[in-house]
Amino acid sequence: MKTILDTGCHIVAQAAKSAKVDFVSAYPITPQTSVVEEIASMVQRGEIDCRFLPVEGEHSAMAACVAAAATGARTFTATSSQGLLYMHEVLHMASGCRFPIVMANVNRGVFAPWTIWVDHQDSLSQRDTGWLQYYCASLQEVFDTIIQAYKVAEQIKIPIMVNLDGFVLSHCVMAVQIPDQEIIDRFLPTVEPAWRFDPQNPTSYVSVTGPDLYEGFRTSLHQDQLKALDLMVQAAREYQELTGLYHGDLLDLYRCDDANTFVFAMGSMAEELKLSVDILREEGIKIGLIRLRVFRPFPKEAISKVLPEDATVVVLDRNFAFGHEGGILFSELKDALFTRRDNVRLLNQIMGIGGIDLTYQYMAEQVKNLLGL
Amino acid sequence: MLEIRIHGYGGEGIVTLAELLAAAAIQTGKKVQALPSFGVERRGAPVKSCLRISDQDIWIHSASYEPDILLVLNNKLLDSATAQGIKKNGRIFLNSPHPVETAFSSEYIDATSIAIEEGLMASGVPFINVPLFGAFAAYLDIPFFCVEKAIADKWPAMVAIRNTRVAKIAYDTVRGRG
Repeated sequence: MKTILDTGCHIVAQAAKSAKVDFVSAYPITPQTSVVEEIASMVQRGEIDCRFLPVEGEHSAMAACVAAAATGARTFTATSSQGLLYMHEVLHMASGCRFPIVMANVNRGVFAPWTIWVDHQDSLSQRDTGWLQYYCASLQEVFDTIIQAYKVAEQIKIPIMVNLDGFVLSHCVMAVQIPDQEIIDRFLPTVEPAWRFDPQNPTSYVSVTGPDLYEGFRTSLHQDQLKALDLMVQAAREYQELTGLYHGDLLDLYRCDDANTFVFAMGSMAEELKLSVDILREEGIKIGLIRLRVFRPFPKEAISKVLPEDATVVVLDRNFAFGHEGGILFSELKDALFTRRDNVRLLNQIMGIGGIDLTYQYMAEQVKNLLGL
Repeated sequence: MLEIRIHGYGGEGIVTLAELLAAAAIQTGKKVQALPSFGVERRGAPVKSCLRISDQDIWIHSASYEPDILLVLNNKLLDSATAQGIKKNGRIFLNSPHPVETAFSSEYIDATSIAIEEGLMASGVPFINVPLFGAFAAYLDIPFFCVEKAIADKWPAMVAIRNTRVAKIAYDTVRGRG
């Protein structure tokens, strides 16, 4: 295990290197971050045996990743905000083709008006593309999650998006422990795909599919998404056994054991919320934090298990569910808890949009306000 | 936890300065975080960066509003830096040719002169972050070998030797004042 001190962007690149990716394609200019710049440098310095293909836009980047993944290459890309939105069509293609691509997305608000600062609108608006989604709260978690994501993606054959907050994590410098390569290789062995596209002997794949078969493909994507829950838990646990590093599996729980009130959030704000919880605990509120690590598939049962009867949950959303009440996490959670027969109370606030800074003092204050205290 | 907010102008190298300080502080066994201000980078515009040094894991990801120390790269930014918040018993470390009276406990280094005298220049602009790094590390009681290591990890050997020499001059100047 060695410790490196670097920006979140460079940690992402380091994770791609440690995962021994074979192919990376990306659009290298804003809203891209220095993730792919660093990967390009690694390739040039010969530190990584990988083909790097810069392209003219994110739509092409994902298309190139899909093609590379079809040949059995371990494939990676990174993007952010408008770049992710521009990929939208091909995101559906990647998941429909069942290719285990892993992508880092630096979360930023979306146009219009122009912004370059963090919120979660970009990735949450890709909810129904069939991709699995992780959200990280620290640079260490970013590294570890990218490695875990490959494990899960290659087992279930669904692409995974690993999200990290723009600037707050992407441009922040902190120390990260990098496990020995031999440990990572043991966790993440090279997998021979059941089928691979051979460019020397071209065949047609995913061509027009009639109603008799199409629905079956889509249903299996849906069912396998749900199966990924167990694989994600296993990956987090196995990674912990090998490295000692753990950030929760589907959820990261903080001071939840005797709690009757909970804060529910994701991303870097949810790490800082631990300090808000400490403040509120000191004031005698029996409060805990549920940090959502995995947004897709939505870990409905895991969350419900944490909540005692008649619990109160304060959901803090860094996004909008336009035309619906509250934010997207609020809607998702409400939906997930609908079948409970008790009186779980849900409260919601949207905050931190377009990079509004969220201090633990401010968040503690807002939680108290919502609780009417 | 020690919180430091660095104020300078875009192009003066405060992002590198914060990273160097973090790299030196981590050698002393501390947890560190360097968090630049988030803007559309422009040369010459006021910029800031936050540095946290702690014995415990750092869970904070927001900016620094009441730092223990302000590190100000230019006299002209002193008032605005102070107005943006500092702890009641906070301290100020300033790049200045002479000591400056402030409402806080203050220390200074003439990093600009050191950079010019030692030829740390590019296109007529002095690199003040290297002498400031040495001087501020001394102010924080970080041993010099940590400064040396941070520089060695950052630059190729020839540049590192020169930068270490310049950082040492500034380091000793602050140390010499006790």
